[in-house]
Amino acid sequence: MRPEFYKVLASPVLWGILILAAPLPFLLPSYYLHIVILSLVYVALASSWNIVGGMAGQISLAHSLFIGTGAMLSTALLLKLGINMWVGLLISAAISAMLAAMIAWIDYRFRLGHLSFVLITLAFAEMGGLVVEGWDFLGGASGLLLPRDTGHFLDFQFGGSHGAFWVMLLLAVVCVLVNVAILNAPLGYYLRTIRDNENAARAIGVNVLRYKVAAMVISAVLASIVGTAYVRYLTFADPYLLISPVITIEIVLFATVGGLGSAFGPALGALLLVPLGEILRGQLGGVLPGLHYFIYGIVVIAVILITPQGLLPLFERLWKRRPGAAATRPPTVAP
Amino acid sequence: MAEFLQALTQGLLIGSTYGLLALGMGLVYGVSGVVNFAHGDFIALGMFMCLALYSALSLDPYVSIIITVPVMMGIGALVYRYLLRPMVGYKFLMIVQLTLGLSLVLQNGILMVFGGQPARTPSAVESKLWILGEVVMRVPHVIAFVVSFALAIGLYVMLRSTDFGRSIRAVHQNAHAASLMGIDVGRVQVLTFALGIGILAIAAALLLPGTPIQPTMGLRYTVITLLVVVLGGMTNFVGIMLGGLVIGISEAFGTIYLSDILGMLLPYGIFVLIMLFRPQGLTWGAAR
Amino acid sequence: MLEIEHLVTGYGGVPVLQDVSLTLAAGEIVGLLGANNAGKTTLINSLSGVYAPMSGRILFEGADVTALTPRERVELGIVQVPEGRLVFPDMSVRENLLLGGINRRARPGRARQMEHVLELFPRMKERLSQDAGTLSGGEQQMLAIGRALMAEARILMLDEPSLGLSPLFVQYIFGIIDKLHAEGLTILLVEQNLNLTLRHAQRCYVLERGRVAIEGPADAIKNDPRTRSAYLGL
Repeated sequence: MRPEFYKVLASPVLWGILILAAPLPFLLPSYYLHIVILSLVYVALASSWNIVGGMAGQISLAHSLFIGTGAMLSTALLLKLGINMWVGLLISAAISAMLAAMIAWIDYRFRLGHLSFVLITLAFAEMGGLVVEGWDFLGGASGLLLPRDTGHFLDFQFGGSHGAFWVMLLLAVVCVLVNVAILNAPLGYYLRTIRDNENAARAIGVNVLRYKVAAMVISAVLASIVGTAYVRYLTFADPYLLISPVITIEIVLFATVGGLGSAFGPALGALLLVPLGEILRGQLGGVLPGLHYFIYGIVVIAVILITPQGLLPLFERLWKRRPGAAATRPPTVAP
Repeated sequence: MAEFLQALTQGLLIGSTYGLLALGMGLVYGVSGVVNFAHGDFIALGMFMCLALYSALSLDPYVSIIITVPVMMGIGALVYRYLLRPMVGYKFLMIVQLTLGLSLVLQNGILMVFGGQPARTPSAVESKLWILGEVVMRVPHVIAFVVSFALAIGLYVMLRSTDFGRSIRAVHQNAHAASLMGIDVGRVQVLTFALGIGILAIAAALLLPGTPIQPTMGLRYTVITLLVVVLGGMTNFVGIMLGGLVIGISEAFGTIYLSDILGMLLPYGIFVLIMLFRPQGLTWGAAR
Repeated sequence: MLEIEHLVTGYGGVPVLQDVSLTLAAGEIVGLLGANNAGKTTLINSLSGVYAPMSGRILFEGADVTALTPRERVELGIVQVPEGRLVFPDMSVRENLLLGGINRRARPGRARQMEHVLELFPRMKERLSQDAGTLSGGEQQMLAIGRALMAEARILMLDEPSLGLSPLFVQYIFGIIDKLHAEGLTILLVEQNLNLTLRHAQRCYVLERGRVAIEGPADAIKNDPRTRSAYLGL
């Protein structure tokens, strides 16, 4: 682990943000709190996706599979089999990890190209959606409704949106820090090597399979856990939201807008776009449904055409120019 | 036996249109390396244009293509010229992301204009049936089959025996050499993209009668098209049509012989298997 | 017929050609010599319009063509036979030839031009419906030259036509070049093969690291002691 990781961990900016953010549930009206929670969910999801999509440079469209497993399976286990949701969280995360390892193995074994990888993961995501829609145990097309959140921590209940906020804040910070850690660890170095030239990496003896599986599994486990927490917050396990490729596409777009492959880029993209989208939906959703997605699309196209590296490099330049710029700048890797 | 024939026919009829959808994508991929993840949303756009023309002028979808084809081609040319062409030279993944963004724009643009309720566009032949022995065929499916194959053959002949067709193939095989022939590669790419989108406009009308349409349906079509293109070996003309039939037939057999969900899964399962064990597609280095 | 004035071309801001000037009179056959990476192919591609020059001018029959696109230059008759031949492998010989004459100026006379090309290369006549990818290297070179002629070339630029060919084919191809020269075609011949070029060209330029090191009649170049050193990149 390079010292940059500990620098970020010890950074006053990080702790400052956390301390400032902690009392937000008491300050914000519930509508804005909801937007903040959603933003944190997507910060966590985009950051978890970034490990495969950004650092390893493979556009995986299977992320909804892991989010959906975490959400739908843990809910089904609770409702249908009475399994405690903490246990359900672990079971779903384990199954997500297995699915992820399988996909990474397929990718390695069959030496899928970029396009093939996109398509295979999309096919798996579609298949996952179909399985959920067609299998009553997982709620079928109508979804599952969780019991009311009464705040029993041991039952994976956090007392509504206040608790959900802290849980999501924790998960978002963990996901971002995992990104920072990987970028500054040998794994990040190997992933970059594989991304830039997989054949060369194989030739110099990099254990490509190991690192691909590691990246995919870490990414999937994080996504699955966030999925479980997210569904607890939503209370309603909606298959069309949680295990549809659309959620992956959103995540990919957030990460792209922020800046792929860097530790903070995907988080930045989600923090900018989710509130924008939610406010648009709140204000104009009744008149113009879909407006926020429309705007996401426009923003991502504009960002790709104008600054293909994402917005983070722009922000960094501003950050560096501030008076007394110090060495707290995160390590970034251009995609 | 009757059930078997019924499924086979159904699959062939639908599969031909899938093949047509995929030909458009394969052509574009061949000349510019663009995999358009908004492909299906262009189909949805074509369908909703037909719906609008029906509501405004009570035009039959089959008649509407006189208007939708040139309009969609124009949109396609603009999209390629101003959105995709600047991406040439960037990584393939940027194009994936850009077209995913485009997909959101199209899908939700449609949603904002038409709303999210499923809609239908009636056609004069919508409920007509054509019975051949024990096999019952819906006339719109028969029309789709005939038109799809006619267009595919037309495209094939165009690629083989016209200067424009040869330019497309030249750019596909070696863009640098093509430009040394005096072929304007950028122009060929724009025109091919427009042609691909124009094909989608026709396919949209063919698929429309009897199908409830929704703004969000595009992604499904994108996925199906991608399956077919990959099965066909990306740029292999015969392979792509064959891929369309395979996907159509497996879908039809799946829904008739297997439970609902397994039936829907079948095409994806076949796709994954073929992807893994025959990544070069179904055919063995045939045409193109 | 063709004048290049102080041409500077490069990619990514790094110049490869540095201040190259060169003239080509009508009906002349001029050799362009130089070691690997001397900038020969870059020069030809600049003439074809593949790269935009950073500075300098290209004049064709007195008109400035520096800003024209590759297509417009082919339409003027500035045509190259690229290094490595670059025939379209999955198209027949006939289709390759037709593509050669696809530009606006050549298209109306394609049938006549095709006859001429097939007369020049009887071998191509036998192979008309065969895919170009199945031809031998020498046959592909014939096809590439034939394809360029289909464009009604007025200046034919050949980039390493002897590359990878057996001595017999090299002799044949240079025989064809002489024949085309005798017909009055203006030819710019880029070659690594020093002696071969000096035997066939009237004048030569020797490029060294993106600059013209030596120029003059073929005989003078042959006896110039600087030639060998420039050539070996010493």
